[in-house]
Amino acid sequence: MNIARFALLLDRHGPALARWPESERAAATCLLAASAEARARLEAALALDARLRRDLARPDPASVARLQDGIARRIVRAPMPDRPGPLPRLLALLRPALPAGWGALAAMACCALWLGLSPPRAAPEDPFGPLQTLPLAGDAF
Amino acid sequence: MPMLLAPSFHWALPWALPRLAPDAPPTPRPMTDPASSDAALMALAGGGDRAAFNLLVGRHGERALRVALRILGDAAEAEEVAQEAFLRAWQAAASFDPDRARFTTWLHRIVVNLAIDRTRRRAGAPSAGLEAAVELADPGPGPEADAVATEARAALAAALGALPPRQRAAIALAYEQELSGAEAAAALEVSERALEGLLRRARQFLRSRLEGS
Repeated sequence: MNIARFALLLDRHGPALARWPESERAAATCLLAASAEARARLEAALALDARLRRDLARPDPASVARLQDGIARRIVRAPMPDRPGPLPRLLALLRPALPAGWGALAAMACCALWLGLSPPRAAPEDPFGPLQTLPLAGDAF
Repeated sequence: MPMLLAPSFHWALPWALPRLAPDAPPTPRPMTDPASSDAALMALAGGGDRAAFNLLVGRHGERALRVALRILGDAAEAEEVAQEAFLRAWQAAASFDPDRARFTTWLHRIVVNLAIDRTRRRAGAPSAGLEAAVELADPGPGPEADAVATEARAALAAALGALPPRQRAAIALAYEQELSGAEAAAALEVSERALEGLLRRARQFLRSRLEGS
């Protein structure tokens, strides 16, 4: 690892090496032991990190209380939550099939389509119908 | 025999009781359990339970306000944005799906989008609000805070104000405790790699602006 790579990772992941990708940590530790410039860059990054943690704006307790009161007042007057439309409900119903993949969903859609579009069947044929036309012994011709 | 067994069935079949005692007072609605998970409270809110939603506001209101304040830099605007975000969450509570995202990630996404939209709308003077935030935000030690610390906070606010809104949002989310990198990226609707890119540019800019201050 060179200084440029170290600086890039420092800006990307922050100065806590524990948060860096595991594959980079050992090389970074070696570079820190060997290079004064790497140590200086880490110190600068630590200083910025500490400053952000200390000085980023925080809301005061009065504004938090005002927010909670304001929301409580407004939702009393607000309409009830919107019910989800038919499409989200359909997707929620189909979600159990998702682990089986798109193939399962496609098969279900094909079945639904086939059931919906197939013409209604005529009355079932009588399996003994042809027998009734056979001449029987004793029939008069 | 069935006649002998019938009385013992009355306690076992609670739905039969109202018919047996029509004048009995209605059972009170059960109290919402404050220890319920966010997902359980959202499910109740989706059914119109305002008390459950107020518990969520109490649990996450401060954090939503903090993120909005860090992006907008103006306490009054941050309050408006946080309120609007919670009202949108209330309206969409019935559609919230805990299998797709945690409540906090979902809420942060609403807050971040509203705050960035608002920052872009008032693109004329983004830094004025952030500098004002130094005075409006809780300064920590109180009025006895020394001039050096106040100056340092003002310099940081000015540097943050000069950042593009999405980089400022990345910093606001990255310094939010209990929020993982994946959740911060999801709140910004970018990949983790893209979030790292935003943070890299933001840190480089802030370091160069704050050197010596």
